[in-house]
Amino acid sequence: MSLTRRLLVAAAPILSLAPSLALAAPAPAFSVKDADGKTRSLSEFKGRTVVLEWVNEGCPYVKKHYSGNMQALQRAAAADGVVWLSVVSSAPGEQGYFADGSAAKKWAATNKAAPSAILLDPEGKMGMAYGAKTTPHMYIIDKTGQLVYQGGIDDKPTNKVEDIKTAKNYVTAALADVKAGRKPAVAVSKPYGCSVKYKA
Amino acid sequence: MIARLSRRLLGGLTVALGLASAAPALAAPVNTGHIQADLIAQDSWAVPGSTVYVAVTQKIEKGWHTYWRNSGDSGEATSIDWTLPTGWTAGDIVWATPHRQPTGPLMNYGYSDAVVLPVPIQVPATAKPGETVSLKADVTFLVCADICIPENAKLDLAVEVRDEAPEPNWRTGRIVADALAAAPKPAGLQAVFQASETGLKLAVTGGPLKGGQFPDAYFFPFDGTLIDHPGKQAVEAGADGLTLTIPAGIALKSGQVPELVEGVLTIGDQAFEVSAQPGQPPVGAAGLGVPAARPPSGDGGGVPLAILFAFFGGLILNLMPCVFPVLSMKAASLAGHAHDAREARTQGLAFLVGVLVTFLALAGALIAARAAGQAVGWGFQLQSPAVVGVLCLIMLLTALNLSGVFEVGTSVQGAGQGLASKGGLAGSFFTGVLAVIVAAPCTAPFMAPAIGVALTQPALGSLAIFLFLGLGLAAPYVAISFSPALLRRFPKPGPWMDVLKKVLAFPMYGAAAWLVWVFSLQAGSTGLAALLACGLVVAFVAWLFGLSQRQTGPRTRWLAAGAAVLTAIGVVAVMIPLAKGGAAPAAGSTTQVASAELPSEPWSPERVAALRTEGRPVFVNFTAAWCVTCQVNDKVALSTQPVVDTFKAANAVYMVADWTNRDARIAQALADHGRAGVPLYLVYGAKGGDAVILPQLLTPGAVTEAVEAAALR
Repeated sequence: MSLTRRLLVAAAPILSLAPSLALAAPAPAFSVKDADGKTRSLSEFKGRTVVLEWVNEGCPYVKKHYSGNMQALQRAAAADGVVWLSVVSSAPGEQGYFADGSAAKKWAATNKAAPSAILLDPEGKMGMAYGAKTTPHMYIIDKTGQLVYQGGIDDKPTNKVEDIKTAKNYVTAALADVKAGRKPAVAVSKPYGCSVKYKA
Repeated sequence: MIARLSRRLLGGLTVALGLASAAPALAAPVNTGHIQADLIAQDSWAVPGSTVYVAVTQKIEKGWHTYWRNSGDSGEATSIDWTLPTGWTAGDIVWATPHRQPTGPLMNYGYSDAVVLPVPIQVPATAKPGETVSLKADVTFLVCADICIPENAKLDLAVEVRDEAPEPNWRTGRIVADALAAAPKPAGLQAVFQASETGLKLAVTGGPLKGGQFPDAYFFPFDGTLIDHPGKQAVEAGADGLTLTIPAGIALKSGQVPELVEGVLTIGDQAFEVSAQPGQPPVGAAGLGVPAARPPSGDGGGVPLAILFAFFGGLILNLMPCVFPVLSMKAASLAGHAHDAREARTQGLAFLVGVLVTFLALAGALIAARAAGQAVGWGFQLQSPAVVGVLCLIMLLTALNLSGVFEVGTSVQGAGQGLASKGGLAGSFFTGVLAVIVAAPCTAPFMAPAIGVALTQPALGSLAIFLFLGLGLAAPYVAISFSPALLRRFPKPGPWMDVLKKVLAFPMYGAAAWLVWVFSLQAGSTGLAALLACGLVVAFVAWLFGLSQRQTGPRTRWLAAGAAVLTAIGVVAVMIPLAKGGAAPAAGSTTQVASAELPSEPWSPERVAALRTEGRPVFVNFTAAWCVTCQVNDKVALSTQPVVDTFKAANAVYMVADWTNRDARIAQALADHGRAGVPLYLVYGAKGGDAVILPQLLTPGAVTEAVEAAALR
């Protein structure tokens, strides 16, 4: 009985969106399959800084940052030992949905993206748990598992590539603060972009 | 390409025309894919040193939309990059009132179909009359259906400079003027806000908001981090305006409190710009409860349907356990009049009048109390232990009367006339009164939807519904008393009537016992002892009184009357302290019993949402200490071992929304489910299933079944 119930609860689709999370609170746990079919969870990254990036390959705002900006951030993060997880919460049939892990990996290769892993969350469970609203929507979790930044990638909420040059990148700034053992100066900002294409 | 060419041609044509004569300012629409965009002017020409309004118009493809200045959870506001002649400057966009665009769990603010966005352009004093200038707007739209596409239009408007009084452009002037007129404006409203990490309280008062009856009021903040956009905005009405309670957005949650809260408040099709300072909300911004939902427009089916239900509900009430004893009393007297048609009719009408007068009086009191901001529900008269106590004694007296301990309405001289007494007119009236007062708590569970509708109607519609509830209750009795054919079927008066009367005494004893139990829940065991003592005295005095009726000597009658007066004084002396403070400790103790067995959490919509995300079934108990039915349900259904076990097994969470004191969010949640009062029981499924409403009378079986089902849906 208890086991069946747990299974049912685990499989339950979640329709209500968690309100945006309080800061300096433990980041919600997750357990999601990556593009290689491996189950990844937050607990395996304990002791490391983790960046979560919500992504939808068809979204103009994602395309704006994948003109080079996002890939550069990913490589800089990797060089610093930061885990970078790109999360796809698009539901089947919606924009940005990858039918399988190989489609996701192919997209990453074509775009020379360099995340530590691409997490496939077609049920939207991880997205809902974090309250991810847009693509991109960025989260930074520190080594102790606390959520220290959530919001937009930068302060120019447009879809124009030329605005990247003059924008203040919140993720770069927050990662530098975390690396120096400080609290991010900007811990919260408004995420901008396309809505996450959750299942209806 | 063709569009651009034709635009150039038109532009050229404009210049040519402008040179030739008084030309209207003119551009050409550009189709960007999902939007037809255009740049238009309000006036036919620009006057040096003045402000002209031009506007970017969007005709948006069906199913697609563009965004307001705060686009909500996703999206991007339309932006304009101007290229103007030297000295000319463009101001900010005058944003049209946005619409809410829910997309899945998210909420966006923007426009569909069409929107006109005017922009003030400052014309320098140095502008040369006679010259035609080009105003260039590079407009970026994000246009979304289920996917988003950035689109871009380079718009160009040729405007002639003239040094004469401006005239509206014959083709486009009205469009811009209308957009400017319709745009939200401050309108002299006063606004104050209080922010916390859980949410924003925004109190707005002023002329157009008087009375606060705006159930659809909604606040669109300029700042996109302030509130939780998809969150429910709870409205509370006040004499001078309204108060909105809005869940917090990311900024508030992380403790960033703004110096000003600015945005647009919409009520119906009106919109006002609001700029709120931090501070204490004025008294007139709240206190009148949740505004009544607007009566359904068009079909108007709400009230007539509710009236119909009310009538049938009233009919059914005759069978309710709390009404039946009163009616049984009436039936006994009817049997007595059965063979005097005129007498029966008069009695029937007196009963009807008693029922209607009481229903209307109760409804009137309820409406008045709600208008005064009291969080009372139907059945409120039984919330006072003093009222319950008095009713209980009345029931006891009635029962004793039926048992033949004493007689009513018949003086000693008339004792021989027995049941066929003619003095029963007032008796019939008061039977009607009694039936309604006792019926009211019964109506709450069974008539909840109709009464829910009734209380959200304007006073008149509400009274009509209660009137029909009364008609339904009185209908069978009145119908019988008016039908000679039915009356003839009653057997002739005789000794059997005395037996019937004595049998019918027992439902009345039952009713008294029920009220004793209700009273004990409200007033505790001390109160109970007092009430039982009162009952004993009342019974003794009734017997004395009956004894005196059977005597003829004036001395015994005087004695009986004196005893009755003394009893009344004694009863009142006991009841007054109970009325004052008896209820509180008892209510507290019943809650304790419940919580001791079934662990509960305080209710909040956020917590419900969070628990549902965890995939746990949620049971919400909307209750109040003064709600008798709620307390009874807590005891007989919720605080039982099977229910506690089921909650544990289903990993379900039991939440209590306590409405003992006024609470705008709870009132709003009740209104959302069409209810005007407690109890309300909601069960949310673990797999995201919608909330199921349980009946207002719970049994342990109903609760366990609902919770088990909730774990699976």
